[in-house]
Amino acid sequence: MEIRALLSALWRSRTGPFLVAAQVALTLAVIVNVVYIVQQRLADANKPTGIDLDNMFWVGIETLDANYNQAAAVPVDLTYLKSLPGVVSATTVNILPQWWGRMGLPFAANPKQLDTPNGGVPGTIYFGTDTFIDTFGLKLVAGRTFDANAIVQPSSDMASAIATWAPEMIVTRAMAQKLFPNGDALGKTVYVGLTNKSSTIVGIVEHMQAGPSPARFEQFAIQIVIVPIIPAGPGGTFVVRTRPGERERVMAKVEKEFADLQPGRYVRRIEAYDETAGRLRQGSRASAIILATVAFFVLAVTIIGIVGLAAFNVTTRTKQLGTRRAIGARKFHILRYFLVENWLITSGGALLGCVLALAAGIKLSTMYQTPRLPLYYLVLGVALVWVVGVLAVAIPARRAASISPAIATRSV
Amino acid sequence: MLMHDVRLALRSLKRNPILSTLMIGAIAVGIAASMIAITLYHARSGHPIPWKADTLYAVTMDLRDDDPDQGFSEHPEYPPFQLAYPDAKAVYQSDIPVRSVMMYRAGRVVAPENRNVKPFGATIRVTTADFFQTFDVPFIQGNGWSRADDESPAAVVVLSRFMNDKLFGSANSVGREVTLTGKQFRVVGVIDTWMPQPKYYDLNASSGFDVPEDFFIPFGWMQALKLGPNGNVNCVSKRAKIESFDAFITQDCVWLQFWVEFRKASDRDRYQAFIDNYVSDQKRHGRFPRKLNNRIVNVQTWLDMWDVVGDDSRMQMGLGLVFLVVCVLNTLGLMLAKFLSAAPISGLRRALGASRVDIVRQHLVEVVVVGLLGGFTGLLLTLGGLAALRVLLFSGVLVGSDNPDRVAMVQAMVHMDVPVIALGIALSLLTGVLAGLYPAWRIGRLAPATFLKTQ
Repeated sequence: MEIRALLSALWRSRTGPFLVAAQVALTLAVIVNVVYIVQQRLADANKPTGIDLDNMFWVGIETLDANYNQAAAVPVDLTYLKSLPGVVSATTVNILPQWWGRMGLPFAANPKQLDTPNGGVPGTIYFGTDTFIDTFGLKLVAGRTFDANAIVQPSSDMASAIATWAPEMIVTRAMAQKLFPNGDALGKTVYVGLTNKSSTIVGIVEHMQAGPSPARFEQFAIQIVIVPIIPAGPGGTFVVRTRPGERERVMAKVEKEFADLQPGRYVRRIEAYDETAGRLRQGSRASAIILATVAFFVLAVTIIGIVGLAAFNVTTRTKQLGTRRAIGARKFHILRYFLVENWLITSGGALLGCVLALAAGIKLSTMYQTPRLPLYYLVLGVALVWVVGVLAVAIPARRAASISPAIATRSV
Repeated sequence: MLMHDVRLALRSLKRNPILSTLMIGAIAVGIAASMIAITLYHARSGHPIPWKADTLYAVTMDLRDDDPDQGFSEHPEYPPFQLAYPDAKAVYQSDIPVRSVMMYRAGRVVAPENRNVKPFGATIRVTTADFFQTFDVPFIQGNGWSRADDESPAAVVVLSRFMNDKLFGSANSVGREVTLTGKQFRVVGVIDTWMPQPKYYDLNASSGFDVPEDFFIPFGWMQALKLGPNGNVNCVSKRAKIESFDAFITQDCVWLQFWVEFRKASDRDRYQAFIDNYVSDQKRHGRFPRKLNNRIVNVQTWLDMWDVVGDDSRMQMGLGLVFLVVCVLNTLGLMLAKFLSAAPISGLRRALGASRVDIVRQHLVEVVVVGLLGGFTGLLLTLGGLAALRVLLFSGVLVGSDNPDRVAMVQAMVHMDVPVIALGIALSLLTGVLAGLYPAWRIGRLAPATFLKTQ
């Protein structure tokens, strides 16, 4: 093949090809890194929650009654919620899982660990009743749920509730493994930082997630401790799980009736649980969409550049090409000429692009504290650039191939 | 002459409609991407109170245990951003600052006087008296309260304008009563619409962007009503023990924001010495185990420490600019192709007496026209893109809130103000010129004879 002629032709009009190569390089660097970030964000947002979000809702109530009896009201509320047709289970919680706020303390198998620097295992705490596991649809893999008689009555405020603590706890498997790496957590005593308290692990659930989180903070989202305490009032937050398809109906009924079970109450907010969880992920999903859109447009602009350059070349070389056809070159040769020329340009750009992509990748991974850009992303990026390059140049190249040899005879 | 060039430019653009559209489109998309990134960055990076840039300071003290850092903080060297109550109370007494504010955010239920309005949850800022003057809060009715009212504490409340509208239908409400958390408070002032962004005085919520609280009450109610914080509480010392609310506030848990305003910038050093002295003294009681690391920082440094701008807007900004560069390269290539393919016409013009300068100027005008058309289209695209972003990014912020300020805040986050629009126009001109300078110069350099020969 006439590779030397091709190279020398390329060199003689080098500005255009150089510009396209630079575009390809930047595009490759952008796309590879954007795809990697988008993929990470979506992976973080889509990690399993362990919670039956689609069949659950929550309702928050408030009261103005200064003499509100929290201890008496909560059992009435729970009995009402559980009695509704279509309801599977209901519990009260201190803080909603999959909500912005979280509360955590360090825990340890050995109380001495809690006095050492950074001692103990960080755990996110949820208060609930014996029906907590069932309401959230968690999978109990060992032990049992709370004893209904072991549920601690509400304290005057959150600090007192933590200080009082409870004799039993259920932990996620992730938490159990951190506390007892030998896998014998069930029945063991766990000590709680800041409170001088301890409780026994009576059950282990397979998985539960407090909320979406970047990989490096994931332990804080999945190391969870559930304790049988009715949260301090007045009022509170109740979570309900319904049978599939019954949620909307139950929600409408609860919204209408629930507050009036006690005088002076009103519903602060009632919401389907998947909506709550979705809101927490809105940011990452939105940024994924933005980044993907930008990457798409960068690629589109580069395609325009490739097409533009090739079309220009075809126009300016019309006579040349006709002459080549006239002296024996076949359509295939012309087509091949443009494809190879374009391939050389995109490959040159891709090579530079790999360097840029790696540099940007290193910068981004230190900025976001994420793992380095895996090298196979570069391979995929180069492959993409090649395919796109061939497709972009195909139309102008076919036009070039169809130039009639007769052109050569016209204006010599 | 210029009009002639513009006419020539438009004619030349019309001669090659597809290529022209592609060029204008490429510039437009590049401008739009970078404008959107700049708008978002601009909204996050503003200074909320520039006139107090070197007199208003946030106070921090490093109360943490002498532990190695846990590795998940990007800046383990920063002290905690909030103070524990015992320390805040102690340094509040200093008379070096002209004003001191100790405060936190709480949340409670409000029962309106007007029985037609349902009770609702509201945010309350529990603060000492100087809050309003320190942060230059504008009042439409009445005023704040005095330091003596913090002590007693007096049952007085300041309302946000939104809350006044909601409770009293925008009437003058000074002297009227509101029931907060079961207790009657007398309204002493109503704040005019006031929305510092970022909400620098307390950055705990929503990555720094949030509307101010609905109610403001004297700090003394913290203990009187056992009003717990509805923000970030961090027990930074292993010795902290949680027993009850009264015990909690004596512990080494940080949860209070603390600000000071100085008469002159130089008082800051005196105050730093005062704080360091206080901490050294506390060390004798076994507190503050780390070495002195008390930072008294101005608003800009404070925003930087919180990283209000955020990695995401920085990345978007970088991405927007790279995009613009790709578009410039693209337009440069297309422009070159276009000019060269029309070179015979320039050759003819040269032969008929046009000077090289004329040719270059004519092409530069064409380039500027393309840049401006692209820039204008780009501005329209930016508006569309920002509207889409408003839905994409912020629809969640608006759920369950009837506060019009919240809508205004979201608008401000995606709002193009005049400087940004001016920047956009400048950017499109620059893009056009950057992309067109070389092609115009190339075309001017060509010898006319080359082209005439082949006609």
